[in-house]
Amino acid sequence: MKSLIKKLANTNIGILLRNSLNFKPESSKSSEKDYPISVSDAFPWRTDNGYKTKFKYSDILNLFYKIKKSWVEFHFYSKNNELIKIEKVNDLNLSNELEISSKYLNNLEDYGTFYIYHFSENTKDLNNKDIISNRCYLGYSQNNNLYSFAHGNTLGKFTSIYSNKTFLTDIVKTSLFQNHTYTIQKYFDGFDKNELFFTNPTSKTIKFSIENKNYELKPNYSLLVEIKNSIISIKSNCLFFRPTIFSYKNKYLDVHHS
Amino acid sequence: MNFFYGISNDLFKSEIQIPLFQNRNFKKSNLKLFKSYPKNNKWILQEISSKKINDYFYILKNEDILSNEIFFLADETILNEFDDKKLKNFNNFTDTSPAFRANFKIYLNQGGFSSYQSEYPYSMVTKKGTILSSISSIANSDADKNYVLIKNIFEEPIEENFKAYLVNYKTKSIEEQFEIKTNYTNCIEIKNKLIKPEIFLVTDRYLGIPMYVSIKNNFLSFEHTHPPHSYTNNFEKVTNLKKEINEIIN
Repeated sequence: MKSLIKKLANTNIGILLRNSLNFKPESSKSSEKDYPISVSDAFPWRTDNGYKTKFKYSDILNLFYKIKKSWVEFHFYSKNNELIKIEKVNDLNLSNELEISSKYLNNLEDYGTFYIYHFSENTKDLNNKDIISNRCYLGYSQNNNLYSFAHGNTLGKFTSIYSNKTFLTDIVKTSLFQNHTYTIQKYFDGFDKNELFFTNPTSKTIKFSIENKNYELKPNYSLLVEIKNSIISIKSNCLFFRPTIFSYKNKYLDVHHS
Repeated sequence: MNFFYGISNDLFKSEIQIPLFQNRNFKKSNLKLFKSYPKNNKWILQEISSKKINDYFYILKNEDILSNEIFFLADETILNEFDDKKLKNFNNFTDTSPAFRANFKIYLNQGGFSSYQSEYPYSMVTKKGTILSSISSIANSDADKNYVLIKNIFEEPIEENFKAYLVNYKTKSIEEQFEIKTNYTNCIEIKNKLIKPEIFLVTDRYLGIPMYVSIKNNFLSFEHTHPPHSYTNNFEKVTNLKKEINEIIN
């Protein structure tokens, strides 16, 4: 009986109930599949206000698995979850980079999210339980100044390394109620401006409030919120809702995960 | 529990904001801030009383920080229980998910600044091992200068030298080596010509957290790197890669 309850508590519905009741809440759960998985963060890109974004990534399959001829795919989405672009990169170095400018995104000056997936046709060097994830590194440059780098912040989607065209989400878990609060452990004092970049990594609408204002973020939407207070608490129905922080002072910029 | 740290050197200044609340439970704590550093093979313990700026944060300015110091939250009973021969897991206040973090900022007098949310978990303090970090995954060849800060905290109050290497994975050779030390925030400069996909930073005996700094026109970028096991859950593959690269330095 005990083991049955434990099993039920770990199903998606069980986790939703636990999170809604705040009873042993679970913020994320990696999916177990019978094929190797490539997981991507929901990476924020910016080309608004003189920004460009640089993404640095490793050829994980070559470095760790000695698998040559793997490839990656980038999927770019607007802030309203419209697919803008898919780019496939075949010739990978151990370490690679991609510059995301407005020109690269069809002259779009805006912001949104993107994902990176690793693929290979090599089935003999991968185990079905293998999970790989490229969590590094995003640089943000405003007005062509030095990129300020931060790593990936929110696990978003995953797919089979064997390229089955199915992209799954909901690694990050939600609650039925807006009953989870996350307070950023930074004192936002002495800056000219602070922006929080939110992205919804789930298939559910996220409702959240900051500084007594309410927001809704549909699945895979993103939103920039300017904040005024020194201490910031985010109340939401998502258990891992951590924004990327952009802090400004004079002409200088600092970007980091929260 | 987590330890926090900064850096003191001639290149840049640092500041640490240590919160007195958990990120999922915004209640002020009555814990105090302490610092510790190794001296003559003993850990010295000192309470930091005057740096609490409000109920929720301690802020340590550059003049409050030395590279051999570590900072942590604890209650006053530590003054009686502290073992000057070994760091302990003093309490579980900072054992949270997401991780309990302090904002670690570096800055220049000219105005550039950059920070990241930092922590040094106790689980790393008790272990020896090696660092493996890809240089070009975060160093910036367009910058004027690139540095790697390597923070090591080891449970014993030792100040022992060990080596950091920049190795070439393709040619299986050592490009450059550096002497760094335990229980210290070390700083090494990376020449731009070595910012290439095949160059990796490795250490020979101790773990640590590598943090990359780039400087250009007084702008700064500062971020830590992930350990190899954050790229794959296959620990055998991580061990094999580490073994392969460690053979280059041995």
